[in-house]
Amino acid sequence: MSQTPPTSSSPETVPLPPQGAIVPVNAPSRQLGDLPTDELNHLAENFGLVPEDFKSKQHLIAALHERRQRIAAMDRDAMLDVVRWGRRPNPINAGKEQIAIEIARIKTMKFEGLSPRGLAIIATMRGINVEPNDSLVRLIRRLRKQEGLFKRFNRKRRAWIGGMISNMLGEEEPSSEYKFLPAQPGAGNPVSSARSTVRDDIEEAGVIGGLTSRIKKSADSYLNQKLDEIEQRIDRKLDEIDRRLADWRDKEIANRVRIMKITLWVSVIVALVSLIISYVQVYIAPAKNVKPPTTIQSNP
Amino acid sequence: MPHIDLFQFFRFWLGWVVTIYATILTLQSLYGWYIWLAGEDKYISLLRRYILVQGLRLRFKTFWGDVLVCALLTMAFCILWRAHHVMYDLKVALESTR
Repeated sequence: MSQTPPTSSSPETVPLPPQGAIVPVNAPSRQLGDLPTDELNHLAENFGLVPEDFKSKQHLIAALHERRQRIAAMDRDAMLDVVRWGRRPNPINAGKEQIAIEIARIKTMKFEGLSPRGLAIIATMRGINVEPNDSLVRLIRRLRKQEGLFKRFNRKRRAWIGGMISNMLGEEEPSSEYKFLPAQPGAGNPVSSARSTVRDDIEEAGVIGGLTSRIKKSADSYLNQKLDEIEQRIDRKLDEIDRRLADWRDKEIANRVRIMKITLWVSVIVALVSLIISYVQVYIAPAKNVKPPTTIQSNP
Repeated sequence: MPHIDLFQFFRFWLGWVVTIYATILTLQSLYGWYIWLAGEDKYISLLRRYILVQGLRLRFKTFWGDVLVCALLTMAFCILWRAHHVMYDLKVALESTR
């Protein structure tokens, strides 16, 4: 397990999340208070809180309210840093709370590659009060301290087991470049990209949880691949239909125009014949019908 | 007894009947299409836009020659029509001089 501090251009102190721009929430306690306990607990877990740590529902509501206010005050770019670093699946246009939910799912204690402002965000999401003069090393130490001895021990144990299992299965290289999900409203919680190795998964979620997560990711990846193939096939069919329709449209219009042309040809020919007949009637037929002058025979 | 030229009579009535019949059928068809395409359904709206796009994507290269011939034939028809009128006027003038 790596213990190196995060990379940064100014690694001495950690920038605090801006505290001024708190989004006002209208009576959030009352709204949260209307929720059933299980939904409230689920919401608290989504925001990185442990419901069992709070004595009563009111305490949990207050903590949740405070957490949401802190999230509203966070720097969105810093949050995106964390998402990018943690390789969490997130649309580029996701709201702060949605990003915070993804950040709360990051359980790793290896912070290399995380920017200082990202580290401040992740510390805040884990319930640590970030001071303005906190250095990176101090912040990481506080995070480790907050983790606790038993949790740390369990994590080490899982890392060891994960290392063995990953050796048995064969290590996979994590994908090199993070990509945001397409910007879609209500994108839900799509499949995560191949974030980490089997060892990391087991370290974070235990043997069963890590393997389940890995199998789920593989199944999801296979499903996504098949869905992409189906989508491409449908696109090809649609293109083919569109092409045929365009051909049919042009042919149909050409046929109609040809019918009009034939009709016009017939009309012009009939008009020409009619004109010739009229000409004959006016100039030739009257000449034939001219009667010779009648002679009057006089009787002698 | 009035003198009736059967050829003229046939042409005249055929022209009127065919014109009126074709006009009524065309208007009926156009009205039906208009009513159908003016629907509020979202699929009809989609179809409206699709028809518009198909119209814009029409390839004139495939039939522009026929369109040109049609325009020329229409001009020829109008000239022949005018020639008929000239011929009738001549006929009347000649008959009046005889």
